[in-house]
Amino acid sequence: MVVLLKWVLAALFPSVDGLIGLDSANLSAPLQRLSKEATLTFRLGLYLSAFAFIFSPIVTLGWPLPALWLGRSALDRHARAMAGHRWYLMRQAMLMLKTVGGAIWGADPAVRGQLGYAPYGHDPGTFRSDHRVDVVSQPQVNP
Amino acid sequence: MNGAHLAFRAQPDVSIDADYVVVGSGSGGSAAAIVLARAGYRVVIVEAGAWRDAADYPETMLGVMRDLFPDWGANVATGDSILPIVQAQVVGGGTVINSAIMVRTPGDVIEQWDQDHGLGDVLDHRRMGAALDEIASELHVTDTRVDVTHFGENNQRLLDGLTHLGLDTHPTLRNVRGCQASARCLQGCRHSAKQAAHEGWIPEVMSLGGAVLSCAPVTRICRKNGVAIGVKGRFRHPQTRKKGAHFRVQAKRGVLMAASATGTAPLLQRSGIALPALGRFWRAHPGAGIIGVYPDEVDLYHGATQGTASIAHRMAHGLKLESLALPLELVAGRTGGAGTQLTRRLQDIRHQAMWVSAVRAEAEGTVKAGLFGGVRVRYRPTIRDLKKLRIGSAVLAKAHFDQGARAVRPGIVGLPFEIGPDEVHLIEEAPLDNRAWTWVLSHLFGGAVMGSDPERSVVGPDLHVRGARQLHVVDASVLPTTLGVNPQHTIMAVAQIIARRLANSDHTRHHGA
Ligand SMILES: Cc1cc2nc3c(=O)[nH]c(=O)nc-3n(C[C@H](O)[C@H](O)[C@H](O)COP(=O)(O)OP(=O)(O)OC[C@H]3O[C@@H](n4cnc5c(N)ncnc54)[C@H](O)[C@@H]3O)c2cc1C
Repeated sequence: MVVLLKWVLAALFPSVDGLIGLDSANLSAPLQRLSKEATLTFRLGLYLSAFAFIFSPIVTLGWPLPALWLGRSALDRHARAMAGHRWYLMRQAMLMLKTVGGAIWGADPAVRGQLGYAPYGHDPGTFRSDHRVDVVSQPQVNP
Repeated sequence: MNGAHLAFRAQPDVSIDADYVVVGSGSGGSAAAIVLARAGYRVVIVEAGAWRDAADYPETMLGVMRDLFPDWGANVATGDSILPIVQAQVVGGGTVINSAIMVRTPGDVIEQWDQDHGLGDVLDHRRMGAALDEIASELHVTDTRVDVTHFGENNQRLLDGLTHLGLDTHPTLRNVRGCQASARCLQGCRHSAKQAAHEGWIPEVMSLGGAVLSCAPVTRICRKNGVAIGVKGRFRHPQTRKKGAHFRVQAKRGVLMAASATGTAPLLQRSGIALPALGRFWRAHPGAGIIGVYPDEVDLYHGATQGTASIAHRMAHGLKLESLALPLELVAGRTGGAGTQLTRRLQDIRHQAMWVSAVRAEAEGTVKAGLFGGVRVRYRPTIRDLKKLRIGSAVLAKAHFDQGARAVRPGIVGLPFEIGPDEVHLIEEAPLDNRAWTWVLSHLFGGAVMGSDPERSVVGPDLHVRGARQLHVVDASVLPTTLGVNPQHTIMAVAQIIARRLANSDHTRHHGA
């Protein structure tokens, strides 16, 4: 599934005019993290949207082919047509894919560097474990 | 356990005694907890999310979705369209990820609560005014231009643009100390400038002998003979979501629900409360953004996240207009198009300014317990709400052009991706169809509203959940109307008034008048 998602997201955010896209970004690490950590609902939504993208050239271009078989420019036209499609659910599927693609693209250090933004540090994923504070006054209300 | 914070544990089970247990640690829960703790009660706060300090905050949006949002941000309201609901699930709740804007409850709202909902005896002008003042001074509410290292071009241009259009517009008031202008409120403030609940009120509750349970979603309110006597649930690991030990908090004096406008009503339902108004009168300020593209650099990410606002159109059109710096990742996901067209459109990100209209919507929805412990929100902005949004978006587009934008990106399906100054009328005539707009819901209200009419309220003017003793609601779900301004200040004030009344009535009961 990760391989398929990589392919779909790269089609949505390809490199263009010198700006790095997801086709040359490191997609494996964030996608693996996503498939390991995201909730089932989230992953289901993402996978269904990816399938919708792959099997809808018949709707967008009138071609009975999976998107995987499209040439570069036809794929680009398919992506564009799906993003602006008159069927709401098609657009929603695209929004789901773009949300994840955008999250990976916008966090990619090379992309950020090109746009003049500092790279992000890593997400620590940490949280406080048990701790205690000094009690300055004890609860006083006793019935 | 006094002064303790207990996080996820696989074993052993936890059982704690308290005077009051507060479910949820956001704006409402933390505000009520501190009043009760200062009044001498032992307060235990139970929070579904983890406790994360500044050093724990994620950097990326994927990290934010994982660490700060419930269910990876997949919560939505459905009606004729799908509207994303943005909320936090972390100790401090919404106060951790919000933009820190603090706006006093408008006088007309307090009057409406009195006249239409019979709340005048509890939430009158005097009490609300005093509570709002106290909170503002305690949380260091300051003019954004004073307490920020750099106001930011995004904010400045909105201020200038709307002012030129003759609309009363101002820098926001925010509860911050020493804002570093990193425009990263949504990711949690790494500089601890935002006066979020886990930076102030919650540790103070602990230091007054209270306790906090984190990673602890409450699954049930325990009741005996109609009296709420505590809550229970199971710890849940914030990353793996594995279930851990059981917990139970016994509360001698009462349970305060503050699990938010999407959490409280479903939890009451799951706990066997059945009232005609429960889960109804769910409302929101849906918002949608509009981007201006400028010949020169704006740099969204240098300045306050939301530094400028105008409520000039609040009374006539139910609108609040404000600046907003969404993270690059979200801008990328929300920009129209796909493929080379999309990447090309993102090249001018440094030249973009982003402003939003939040609508004081008249739509009413419902919130219900869903499958597998989930929540189901039904909500559909009305045609009139869409008309308001059209007005707000058109005003913002005009302000962009006033400030020299070369184009405006309305983000409305059916309109060109970019429009010029002569095409603002296209926004004014945009489709009155929720599916054509990119609404987002972040200001939520209702589901367990207060009022005097038993058919239309869950909490009576005596502040109890109807038919249940020692059970109260102190979060946004209690608000019987929308506000037309940012809600956290109001939520905190209402929660503190309720908590103060509880404390006073307890003292009176036990020690005489
Ligand atoms: C991105 C964003 C920006 C915003 N900016 C502003 C702003 O600048 N100014 C403003 O006034 N308002 C702002 N708001 C809105 C404001 O933050 C909320 O209106 C406010 O925090 C709601 O308070 P609450 O107490 O009802 O709920 P919350 O603050 O959401 O707190 C509810 C808490 O309850 C917990 N909870 C839920 N279910 C359970 C359970 N079963 N057991 C235990 N705990 C549970 C949740 O995890 C959460 O921590 C913003 C909101 C968002 C999302």
